[in-house]
Amino acid sequence: MGMNSKKEELMGIVGQGNVSDDPACLNGYAQDQSFALPIKPWFVARPQTAEQVQELVKWANATATPLVPVSSGAPHFNGDTVPSATEAVIVDLSGMNKILKIDHRNKIVIVEPGVTYAELQPALEKAGLRITQPLLPRANKSVIASLLERQPTMIPRLNYSLPEPLRVCGVVWGSGEYSFTGEGGMGPRSLEDQWKIGLAQVNQQGPLATDLVRLVTGAQGTMGIVVWASIKCELLPAARKCFVVKAAQLEELVDFCYRLERLRIGDEVMILNRRQLRAVIGKTNGCGCGCGGADWTVVIGLAGRALYPQEKVDVQEHELQALVKEFGLQALDAPPEVAASLLAVSGETYWKVASKGACQEIFFLTTLDKAPRFVKTVEQVAARFEYPASDIGIYIQPQHHGVSQHVEFSLPYNPADKREVEKVKAIYTAASEELVAQGAYFSRPYGAWADLVYSRDATSSRVLRTVKQIVDPNQILNPGKLCF
Amino acid sequence: MEISRDAYRAIEDIVGPEFITDDPAFLDSYAFEWLAELVRPNRSHYMPRPWAVVMPASTAEVQGVTRVCNKYGIKIKPISTGWYHWAAPMKDNDPTIQLDLRRMNRILDIDEKNRFAIVEPYVICAQLQAEVMKLGLNINIIGAGSSTSIVASACAYFGGGPNSYSMGNNSDNLLGQEWVTPAGEIIRTGSLSSGCGWFCSEGPGPSVRGITRGVLGSRGGLGTYTKCAIKLNHWPGQKVLEPKGPPPGYRLEIPENFRVYTIGAPDWDAWVNCYHAIYDNGIGYVFHRQFNLAGADLAAALWLTYIDPKKTLNDVETASKDPAIQKVAEEGRISFQLILAGNSMESIKLQDKVLDAILAQTGCYKVARFCEPDMAEFTNMYMQRLGHKHCNFIWVGGYMGSWMQAGTPDYVRNYIPTAIKGFERDQKSHLLVECGGDATMGCGSTIGGGGYFGLEQFVSYDPNDNDSIDACIKHMEDAIKDAISVGVPAGKEALYLQIGWSDERIWDALSKIPQQFILNFQTKIKDAFDPNYLGDRNYQWIPPGWGQKADAK
Repeated sequence: MGMNSKKEELMGIVGQGNVSDDPACLNGYAQDQSFALPIKPWFVARPQTAEQVQELVKWANATATPLVPVSSGAPHFNGDTVPSATEAVIVDLSGMNKILKIDHRNKIVIVEPGVTYAELQPALEKAGLRITQPLLPRANKSVIASLLERQPTMIPRLNYSLPEPLRVCGVVWGSGEYSFTGEGGMGPRSLEDQWKIGLAQVNQQGPLATDLVRLVTGAQGTMGIVVWASIKCELLPAARKCFVVKAAQLEELVDFCYRLERLRIGDEVMILNRRQLRAVIGKTNGCGCGCGGADWTVVIGLAGRALYPQEKVDVQEHELQALVKEFGLQALDAPPEVAASLLAVSGETYWKVASKGACQEIFFLTTLDKAPRFVKTVEQVAARFEYPASDIGIYIQPQHHGVSQHVEFSLPYNPADKREVEKVKAIYTAASEELVAQGAYFSRPYGAWADLVYSRDATSSRVLRTVKQIVDPNQILNPGKLCF
Repeated sequence: MEISRDAYRAIEDIVGPEFITDDPAFLDSYAFEWLAELVRPNRSHYMPRPWAVVMPASTAEVQGVTRVCNKYGIKIKPISTGWYHWAAPMKDNDPTIQLDLRRMNRILDIDEKNRFAIVEPYVICAQLQAEVMKLGLNINIIGAGSSTSIVASACAYFGGGPNSYSMGNNSDNLLGQEWVTPAGEIIRTGSLSSGCGWFCSEGPGPSVRGITRGVLGSRGGLGTYTKCAIKLNHWPGQKVLEPKGPPPGYRLEIPENFRVYTIGAPDWDAWVNCYHAIYDNGIGYVFHRQFNLAGADLAAALWLTYIDPKKTLNDVETASKDPAIQKVAEEGRISFQLILAGNSMESIKLQDKVLDAILAQTGCYKVARFCEPDMAEFTNMYMQRLGHKHCNFIWVGGYMGSWMQAGTPDYVRNYIPTAIKGFERDQKSHLLVECGGDATMGCGSTIGGGGYFGLEQFVSYDPNDNDSIDACIKHMEDAIKDAISVGVPAGKEALYLQIGWSDERIWDALSKIPQQFILNFQTKIKDAFDPNYLGDRNYQWIPPGWGQKADAK
């Protein structure tokens, strides 16, 4: 089928105004901020309903057309939204941006994939709720995309599993079938009908002996297209206080953080190096970030909600102060801009690219005791390429009650400076290889990481290919990603 | 049921002659299963007898035995600690090896700092809890009690318990796992699969665990889980749970940073509101409705007799007529147990204050007699260790749990009156224990942070009295109809009854699930990982096109 015929058929599915082959528009999807090979898609299609998504997937199966789902606005960073196959259609879900339900009683919100953090948090706030979010997400970042990609969230005590707070999804699988995950998978295939019989899409487990939601998380859009998701909310805190604990060496903070996370004191808990703390509060030059010259800072947000909120904060503060004393540390009031960053979305210029215009990230999961060693590895690799260690932003986010830690390195660079681009690319490649060899767990293997990870893990590759064959037999969803 | 002696010999060559048997006396000890009489011909207590019992000692042996089974077409049913009749082989004349994992009973590692333990399938909750408590850590013990396998609840069956509200369901506490598929392949998941340790169950990329974990797991129907890592949680109590007092009502001292309460509600609406307020305020370490398993009419008499060393169960009837105990029964008619634990004295005092405010707001109250030191200490021991599961069988030696459809508190509240009325109606046969219509019990939440659970109606029947068994079966059938009448699906009773159904009947039922995607998916997973269909139907599947056949009928 030729391009023109495809365009007509696409317009028949999503509407004339919702298909674009404008070169400028296509170029916007042909590459991102990663080092992924640029490939221009043929069309961008913007479905408005789940039914249109399902029709689109059926059409793609019939015409062997690769589909690349995209929900968030630019800039994209990990190469997962850049087609790896030619003749692809970008499925831009940003127009599906309705908040379908805010269920205050059960603390559940149900959203479509185009709903962004900038839209969702104010709407929840009006209802006295919020969701735990990643650190300063892009304002145009799709909440569903963020959760599907298991971006780390800031409150480890609420993270009962890594996909949290994601609960139940409506998924159009690569086969074109449409089903619900979790508890939603056993009821009627209509949210309205489920609500009528008292189902609230709370439990992510199931249906039956599967956890289908876990097959769409970390999948980079290769298994199915999520057309709505339920997300667990929490009550909006009525009292808050934020502290910082500083140290010259990361090692000095490790035992303290182990204890803090074990006792589940506080809401937000994270470790930032000086560079990253400055970036978070938008200080691209000088210090003034409240780090007091320390290289490492633990940021701890205390919160009280429901009954006696201020007393809840006070008790946590006393427990925190006793704890820091035990470890020979100090907990100081955080500067207001640090406290504010825990609740905010990023400004118009995404904070990670604010200093130099671009930023390459390296991130993985590990345990806290191993984090200092991995920091040294990245610093050593950077030094080999004469990239200043002081330019590397480092962010460590406890997950799953602190059992695992997301460790993230940000390497800012000037995209117009070819030498700098090549240098950062070389660091990214060399550091990733060394980290994998040392046991860093790249649980979200984007781009070049996929080969590094799956070449060492034949079993996961084989099992995932089996699953892919079941849910996307014609391999039309984002082909070329992961081990597919 | 004659199988080649070659198969027996081949398995014997792997595990050694002392760890395989086809001696009928041994085989029947595996076939003898709780609830069997509800589904077996002639009210037999025996499920189908396994062809042989094999006791492997390692993952390699499990894999070896599995490969032999594939060669000879012998079905495989692993069992660790077992619970319910589905732990046994499903069908007569369908040669099945019962893979008894009791030799795989080691705690392989406790990583105190990173808070996880790596265990084999016959490590029971009590065993691991005792070890980790010495380190100030604790585990989520599932509702079935401390004698259950951690691997089973984390990998292959329901993972909810009284601590799930604060610690998470064991399906969420599951980290790395090792799985021998029915085809004999060893699959490791998450960070373990990448050679990075046991700390994470997700990825790389999509999570392989998603194909078998689910709500109730595969229940031995899709291979054998040989190891797993489980997340540990902080324990601010004693290093050792030292029992106090004479048996059977052992007590556990309540540390000053703990509070142990039984909370009563004036009606079900207040009860629901109280649950929501507890979730919203994030208080509570143990949250469970336990004691009502004895029935709302008799619970007070039973437990107050149980903890009195001078009395026996023969005294319960007299106690139940005591006006003072009847008053307690009324106070505790709609009740649950809540244990608070604080990291500091300040914290526990504040939690107490919050709880008082919740009770004032909702009209709920502390059941005074159950909060007195003797009963509170008994409650503390009962709930912290969950070692009293024999009490489930206390009335006449058998019980069956009906209902337990899970949902939000409001969802449960919607069906509870019907569950109570139905049980009251069925007790009029005088063939079931007449303990009051409400013998419902269950977790405060089976998922971390609250918001989701079901209540199970404890129907006590005499498993050695055919009339009582028949009455129980009638109740099960009635409960299914009752559930449908209030717009909820059938509950646990249907799951139990299905064990006695033919494949065709099960497929007919499965084909009525509104979203067939999941059945088609599981069938394809079955084809891929169990090509010779050696696992049983506890991992549900349906022949292609069966739905249409059923619809045509």
